[in-house]
Order: sequence, then structure tokens, then C-alpha cells
Amino acid sequence: MKKKIQMSINRRTCEVEVETHWTLLDMLRNELGLLGTKRGCEKGDCGACTVLVNGKPVNACLYLAVRANGKEILTVEGLETDEGLHPVQKAFLKKGAVQCGFCTGGMLLTAVSLLDKNSSPTEEEVRSAISGNLCRCTGYQYIVDAVMFAAERKNQGVA
Amino acid sequence: MTLPRFQYNEPASLAEACQMIRAFGEKAALLAGGTDLLVKMRNRERQPQEIVSLAELEEMTQISAAGGRHAIGACCTVSQIAASMEVKSTFPALASGAEHLGSPAVRNIGTIGGNIVTASPSADLPPALVAYGAEVRLKSEDQERFLPLEELFRGPGDTCIKKDEILADLRLESPPEVSGAGFFKLGNRRALQISIVNGACYFALNPGSGEIEKARVVLGAVAPTLVRAVSAESLLVGEKPGKGLFQEAGRAAALDCSPIDDLRGSAAYRRDMIQVLTCRTLQTALDEIRNH
Repeated sequence: MKKKIQMSINRRTCEVEVETHWTLLDMLRNELGLLGTKRGCEKGDCGACTVLVNGKPVNACLYLAVRANGKEILTVEGLETDEGLHPVQKAFLKKGAVQCGFCTGGMLLTAVSLLDKNSSPTEEEVRSAISGNLCRCTGYQYIVDAVMFAAERKNQGVA
Repeated sequence: MTLPRFQYNEPASLAEACQMIRAFGEKAALLAGGTDLLVKMRNRERQPQEIVSLAELEEMTQISAAGGRHAIGACCTVSQIAASMEVKSTFPALASGAEHLGSPAVRNIGTIGGNIVTASPSADLPPALVAYGAEVRLKSEDQERFLPLEELFRGPGDTCIKKDEILADLRLESPPEVSGAGFFKLGNRRALQISIVNGACYFALNPGSGEIEKARVVLGAVAPTLVRAVSAESLLVGEKPGKGLFQEAGRAAALDCSPIDDLRGSAAYRRDMIQVLTCRTLQTALDEIRNH
């Protein structure tokens, strides 16, 4: 069963004809070619498919594409703007928070969403925010450092 | 793997959703958050032909209060419950259960109704809800009925909700002035963890005598459904709260449950943890009373 939906993806209005049994992850990867959103466990355990729906992180593998109708979706591809990489992306590079990269898209979006609602998180709050994003390479410390660093820079007014 | 195909139905109201599931019968499945249903469908454990989506129904995502009576819509997300000022101030043990469920992204999708109807013995919201004496409102096309939440569960994955009924909302009364509650959850890590044990404790004091008047001790993941630790409760009632009493109640609670050995923990370990965590959580409840 097909259904036409309209939504904003990475700040652009899109109309997509989706199959109702597609998840948001299926639509982003298979229909729109946005491959930054990773297909991991497909049951909400790993966080690799995290995207922001109306500013909140959700697992795209557990979210039907039809539910995106009328919503604002942000994927990792939408973090970079004309001004360059997002400050959180810059912080990840600066602090060496990326190894294989599979968790990175989800980590970045989760971090961006956290900093949008809490500009000075404690380390504990950062760890709790990313608790649903599994990373098997870094041991998390550099990721936590990067998010703390991004918060610090944001509060100092430096991108 | 992609999901099996289905027809997607978006009713405009709860009433229309009730009509739809009666018409579709066995072919239908209700979608709220989907964090459980979609995983089961992907595994082909469930293959409904008609999905009736409640997810975007505004009337089911409200938290409201009037005259000390509270209603929480079944499609409120878990993060909505955790962040609600009303829930945090009136039902802190429920807010605590919500904060400990799954992961932040799962909490943004999963709903309180879904956490209940899935009927997992280790679900994180039912213990506190039962501790606060919550009722459920079950709605069908032409009827509605109310039931204490603890009577809803029949076994793992099994409730007494009829095929044509929808869990509409939860009803709670404001706890009395001199009362407190707490929630506990033990897992191997603090997120994305199915509880080894969980539970909630609630008690209310007689404002004059300072003795416990009413107590509910609810234990999860230690029996096919959540259980009331009845001997712990009767031990508490009529006594003044304190460390010695709480330790005794913890020992009684450990005997009130029937845990099994599984990959998450042994029966003996679960029993020990019930003893310790019940005792600690009764103290949490007392702290709430003292900090009032």
C-alpha cells in the first residue's frame, strides 16, 4: 500500500511516495539515498539509525515512514550548512571521537539534540544522553570529551 | 529485513479506532509507539494485515488532572511521562520508572500504553503504577470498563484486554498528603537493559499516629506477571516506618516472589536483590515523606 507524505528533510520540503510498511530508515536509505543513517540492529538497541524528528532523537528503524508526514526530519547529512561543518562535528574531529564511524551519525545527532536543550551538560548528562548509542571502538571517552568541548565552545560563542 | 506488508489505517479518533478493530477482528494490530510491535513484525512473530495507528491521536497523548484525579493517555510517550511536571511532583516513582526505561531515543517513541499491553514481566512502568493504585480504562465501540491495573496481567505477553478493546488511559488518584513512593531497577548497565529485577514501594502514614496505614510493595521480573509482596505489605501496616521494619519487609518480599534462573540472573540472586532493593526503596519512600 502506497501513501504520499510531505515532510521537511534537512530543512527542505520533500514529497515522497512511501510504502506503508517502510520504516523511516528504509525511506531515507533506499528511496532517498541518505546513507549516513546506518542500518544496525533494527530493533532499537544500537542507535546507529538515530535521526531527529521534530528535534528529538528517535530510532529510524522503529518509526514507520508514514509517521514522518508533516514532521521535521534531520539526518547527519543535514548538519553541515553553507557555513561549514556543524560545531559538534568540528568538536568530534578535534577530539578524535571517530574511529570506524558507524555510530558517528547517530552520536552527532543525539549530541546536537542534547546541546539544543541543555547548553551546559555535566559529563553524567552527556553519558546518559548517548546511552542508547553504542560504540564498539572508542570506549566513549573521546566522544564525551567532544560533546563537552562543543558545549564549552558554544557557550564561549566560538563555533 | 523489511517489515511484512500491511494496510495502514489512521483513525481520526479513539472512537473510530474502536470501530476499526472490531471490523478487522483478528487481522488487526494496534500501533502506538511501535518499539515492540515493529520488532516482532520484523521477526515475523506477528504479521497483522491491518495496522490501526493510534500514534498521532492527540486525544490519547494528554496528561490531565481535575480534583485530585489524574488521567494519563495511553499514547503518552515514555519521555513525556519522565518530563511531565505533574507526574514528577505527584507520582515521582512513576517518573523514575520512565527515566530508566530503554534509551532516550526509545523513550521518545515508546508509549506508556505499549509498555503495559506488551505485558512483559520486567516492564518498567507497571510497578510504580500499581504501587500508586492505578486503574486502566478499556474502551470498545459501545462500552467502556475500568479495571485495577494489577488485574490486567495474566502472564507474559498476556492480558485480559478483549480483542475489540483499546487501552484508552490510566487513572490515578493523588496520593494522600503523608505518603511516599520509590522505584527500583537492577540491570547490567543503566540503559537499554531488561530488568534483572525491578519494583516499586508505596506507603501512606496516619497523620496522627505516624503509623503506616496503607502499603503496596510491587515486584517485577520475579514471576510470570508483576506481583504484590502481600506479606511484606501486611508486615508494614500498623507499624511506624524505620530501618528495622524495612529490613524485615525486604526479607518478607524476597519470600513473596517466585523468580527463575535465566540469562539475566539466577533465582537466588534475584531473591537477594529483591530483599536489599525493597528495603532501600521503602527508605526512598520515607525520605519523600520527610522532604515534603
